[in-house]
Amino acid sequence: MAETADYSFAVEYHGPPLPYDIPKAIPIEIERIPVAAVAPPSASDAAEALPVVHPLTSPLRKAAPTPAVEHAAAAAAAAAASPTSVIENHAVMDGPDAEAGSSGLLGSSSCLDRSAELTEGGVESSGPVGSSLPDRISTESALSLEFDFRSSASENDDDDDDDDEGVAPHAKKALVTFQSSAQSSGSASPAVGLARQRREEFELRGKKGACYHCLKGSRFAEKEACLVCDAKYCSGCVLRAMGSMPEGRKCVSCIGFPVLESKRERLGKCSRMLRRLLSSPEIELAMKAEKNCEANQLRPEDIFVNGKKLTPEELVLLQNCSCPPPKLKPGYYWYDKVSGFWGKEGHKPHKIITAHLNVGGSLDSRASNGNTGIFINGREITKAELQMLKWAGVQCAGNPHFWLNADGTYQEEGQKNIKGQIWGKPIMKLLCPVLSLPTPTKAANSNGDEVIDMVRAIPDYLEQRTVQKMLLVGLHGSGTSTIIKQAKFLYRGVPFSNDERQDIKVIIQSNIYSYLAILLEGREMFEEESLAERRNSCQHCPSGNYESDDCNRVTDYSFSPRLRELSDWLLKVMASGNLDTSFPTYACEYAPLVEELWNDAAIQATYRRRSELLMLPITASYFLERVVDISRMEYEPSDKDILYADRITSSNGIACTDFSFGPLACDGHAIDGDQQDMLLRYQLIRIHTKGLGQNCKWLDMFEDIKIVLFCIALSDYDEYYEDPNGVLINKMIESKRLFENLVTHPTFEEMNFLLILNKFDLLEQKIDTSPLTICEWFSDFNPVVSRNQPSNTRNPNSGATMAQQAFHHIAVKFKRLFSSITGRRLYVTWTNGLAQDTVDAALRYGREILIWEEEKPIFGSSESIYSTEPSSYSN
Amino acid sequence: MSVAELKERHAAATATVNDLRERLKQKRQLLLDTDVASYALSHGRTPISFSSTDLVCCRTLRGHTGKVYSLDWTPERNRIVSASQDGRLIVWNALTSQKTHAIKLHCAWVMTCAFAPSGQSVACGGLDSACSIFNLNSQVDRDGNIPISRILTGHKGYVSSCQYVPDQETRLITSSGDQTCVLWDITTGQRISVFGGDFPSGHTADVLSLSINSANSNMFVSGSCDATARLWDIRIASRAVRTYHGHEGDVNTVKFFPDGQRFGTGSDDTTCRLFDMRTGHQLQVYSRPHENNDNDVPTVTSIAFSISGRLLFAGYSNGDCYVWDTLVAEVAFNLGTLQNSHEGRISCLGLSSDGSALCTGSWDKNLRIWAFGGHRMVI
Repeated sequence: MAETADYSFAVEYHGPPLPYDIPKAIPIEIERIPVAAVAPPSASDAAEALPVVHPLTSPLRKAAPTPAVEHAAAAAAAAAASPTSVIENHAVMDGPDAEAGSSGLLGSSSCLDRSAELTEGGVESSGPVGSSLPDRISTESALSLEFDFRSSASENDDDDDDDDEGVAPHAKKALVTFQSSAQSSGSASPAVGLARQRREEFELRGKKGACYHCLKGSRFAEKEACLVCDAKYCSGCVLRAMGSMPEGRKCVSCIGFPVLESKRERLGKCSRMLRRLLSSPEIELAMKAEKNCEANQLRPEDIFVNGKKLTPEELVLLQNCSCPPPKLKPGYYWYDKVSGFWGKEGHKPHKIITAHLNVGGSLDSRASNGNTGIFINGREITKAELQMLKWAGVQCAGNPHFWLNADGTYQEEGQKNIKGQIWGKPIMKLLCPVLSLPTPTKAANSNGDEVIDMVRAIPDYLEQRTVQKMLLVGLHGSGTSTIIKQAKFLYRGVPFSNDERQDIKVIIQSNIYSYLAILLEGREMFEEESLAERRNSCQHCPSGNYESDDCNRVTDYSFSPRLRELSDWLLKVMASGNLDTSFPTYACEYAPLVEELWNDAAIQATYRRRSELLMLPITASYFLERVVDISRMEYEPSDKDILYADRITSSNGIACTDFSFGPLACDGHAIDGDQQDMLLRYQLIRIHTKGLGQNCKWLDMFEDIKIVLFCIALSDYDEYYEDPNGVLINKMIESKRLFENLVTHPTFEEMNFLLILNKFDLLEQKIDTSPLTICEWFSDFNPVVSRNQPSNTRNPNSGATMAQQAFHHIAVKFKRLFSSITGRRLYVTWTNGLAQDTVDAALRYGREILIWEEEKPIFGSSESIYSTEPSSYSN
Repeated sequence: MSVAELKERHAAATATVNDLRERLKQKRQLLLDTDVASYALSHGRTPISFSSTDLVCCRTLRGHTGKVYSLDWTPERNRIVSASQDGRLIVWNALTSQKTHAIKLHCAWVMTCAFAPSGQSVACGGLDSACSIFNLNSQVDRDGNIPISRILTGHKGYVSSCQYVPDQETRLITSSGDQTCVLWDITTGQRISVFGGDFPSGHTADVLSLSINSANSNMFVSGSCDATARLWDIRIASRAVRTYHGHEGDVNTVKFFPDGQRFGTGSDDTTCRLFDMRTGHQLQVYSRPHENNDNDVPTVTSIAFSISGRLLFAGYSNGDCYVWDTLVAEVAFNLGTLQNSHEGRISCLGLSSDGSALCTGSWDKNLRIWAFGGHRMVI
């Protein structure tokens, strides 16, 4: 029915004259609003059914909506803002803003409706001020009143569901416009500005203690306050005012603004009222959002330590140290890094926190505004502290300058010997509180060592910002999955969970069956080959006739019939392509046979000729040689097995791993700089290159990555693959094409690229037998051949090996290509996927680049500090 | 027959096919004496008039912390599921703008999501090449996450789009970067049929979107990077019923016309087109000349028809959202010009099942719900 009616405006009644008075809404002057009074008990039972508020009576009742229209209007109004009341209606009339306009109108129509209902029902109010009185408000307790409102609101929600929803959203529109206007007029300090504005607005129209939205209720009614502007809403309005609470309890218009400091402690603590209104998962969501969303966090730029704004990382450090400053609020603080004293600027110490935190600037001598002439760690101390020193038995004659360490030992400036322990006397713990001075807690008292031990959980809200994403791209077979696995082994405490290991076990076991199948296929091929050979030779020498029968059947590659059964089964399964699905069921059955099969002379003979089997991956021999172990049910894959195994990182999906670089064991300088760095999480994402081809449709999903690690196998230069059209393409050229594609993609316009040239070990193996110039792109490769080659590999001065030169040549080719496209620099490094340290070095190099790129604007042209040459050869 | 000879014959055959295709195109051109717009104008139809108050933004759904990539409405209740780059699906109540579920995904790179016909479960897919089904009623685990109730694996490329077969809770069709579409049985997790791929009449590039005919749920149409749209019959997986040429760029989005006899497409070539399902003819091109002829012309990311089909909503990569009058091919309105419109690319849009509200999702992390205001209810 609502679809047929236009609800926005009450239509003037033009129909035939009616026997009854037609109600009409008229603007009302605020002075003339009648005051609610207690209804006599006799009236209350008549109105029991609904908490109805009577409208104002007007002498000028003229136009009344027809019942249908009226009804629709009521529904619309109910859906609109609130189960509204007269009071809101009036107040809203005064309000000049848009919300007032629309909801006022709607409110009035709803009132009309209610009054009509009431009069039709024959209920004549017997309140002292006639029918214009809300007759129930004061008889009921505030709480139950709210409850009623809530229930009526929920009924209305149901209405919404049934109604055409074109109605409801439109009515809500007013709220949204209101919000944008409030936002645009926000002052420089938004929280305060908003709060003031909201309050002023409210004071314009409502009485004290009432709900800010419906302007009703007394100050005793339960209310929820906005964390930003402190506007208070009753239970009926809170959900409307705060919406979906993406940042917790904030008005819709306050979203995105920082919370009031006084409210910070309430973050994430849900009130009883909200619990009643929302389901518990919703509350959980809202509260989690409230606690964790970025806008609600302390803003590091609001906190000054020793006169310097904190950076986000410093704030995290401060909040997560073992003994953090209590109740951190925006303001100016001083911090004595040596002793751990912490206080407000211009005041005596407030607390002893963890020492040696690298936050803020240097301590000023006037930080605590002392005037005693005595200095501790370069800060002039206050009288209270002087008193403490005296009690502690410290000689303070002659205005000495002290060094006070975190453990309480002190020495005089410029002298070596420790003079004593301030906290030595137990009585100090009692005396200090008298002066309202802090004493060290146990945690703070221990050494600063633990500060370095910062590998702890990262707060959720920082995750978004501090996860640095690295994208690992490479053609199939370039070793990207090995790098991912290495990263897991390198930086994760538990690289693979038990479940994952179980999966990996199955994969390795089914892999080995597929390797065996390849061998079996090879065996058949070799058998036929040698049989044919034998036949040929038999034909050539007719004398050997008597043996021909025999030689026709038995060769090196012949099989016993028992094994033939297994072989046939395996080949059949492989051919049907569902090894993965059928594998588990057959594995137990055939596991004992595998040993027999492997030890069979025919298979061994085939295995010796494995270089002729192109399908067999290089890593297969690693597994095949241990096939007996692996095919057992109790086999547990070792780390090395996992590293060598194929297909573990799903080949057609996306693989990613989160990690943070641990402290580098070998170099000492890593301590200070890495402290912040360890907070940074890195995410290595490997994407499959299939489909990256011409239309990188989804590459824009990776806008937020910081660096592209482009991986190429160095051994690719003489390898080819067949494209769908049957053309052989050099893999290196294919890599180059992909590289160009990525570099020119608009998403990666300003992206840093690190080229990882993988499989250096394979290059070393094959470079001597197969020259680099096989690939036409490298035809201009002119290696400098050193004469004393075999002996010089250990001596870095006597020139590079052929493999190194080849690597260099390839690197330079790519660098030129990159700079010709972008005009920027390409970073290059080499790895050997199976050697952990090289992968570690490459990833750390990637991190260096990230750090360097971040600092580039600061240090300007300090490029020379960082070598862009590939990291040194360590082999 | 030698390989060289085979190759020769293959090349010849390819040339013939291309020649025939060209002739077909010319023939089509000849037969197409008019298009929808000129016919409508010649019959005196006037463009629809639209003012800025006719379509108003009445809700903003905030809560995602990453780019929104996809959304879907429930058939009955007014709920929306949206998928975002922050690795979450959120189920919203569109009326109250409250979140009823937030589902954390294993793979953050989600590209599509869909509501089941019953509204009891949602499906999503993305770069993990799998389609995950979540039952909204299932118990949360101890981290508060809803567990995956079924995962459909088998695609060899990313899952670009998924849609439940109307009124069939257990059937789902996905389109994928591996050039195929797949019909799944959710209860068993098995593929029922694969459309394209090895079969010669399949798409020759990534399939980006699909739309199931609401009038006849056995037919669906798919759009692909090979600049074509193809019509499929669920019962016949072996070949495409028809292939629709016309676009000059990747077909990013396809959507059936409400009457099920036509469908619309949106493409990288900045145009939307309307095709007739049965004749295979292109009925109309919806394109607007771009004043600045630089290379970053906006591409069409998503389209939706109003319930009568008179309006075509098209989201563009530059944040515009045109409301086309399908009859006269004029832009009736641009939601992007409104003060409270999205700030980023509009990545997805969808009309509620009763046609009264439009929801748009954008890279500015928000979703907005637009409803007809003023005197209009539904067009």
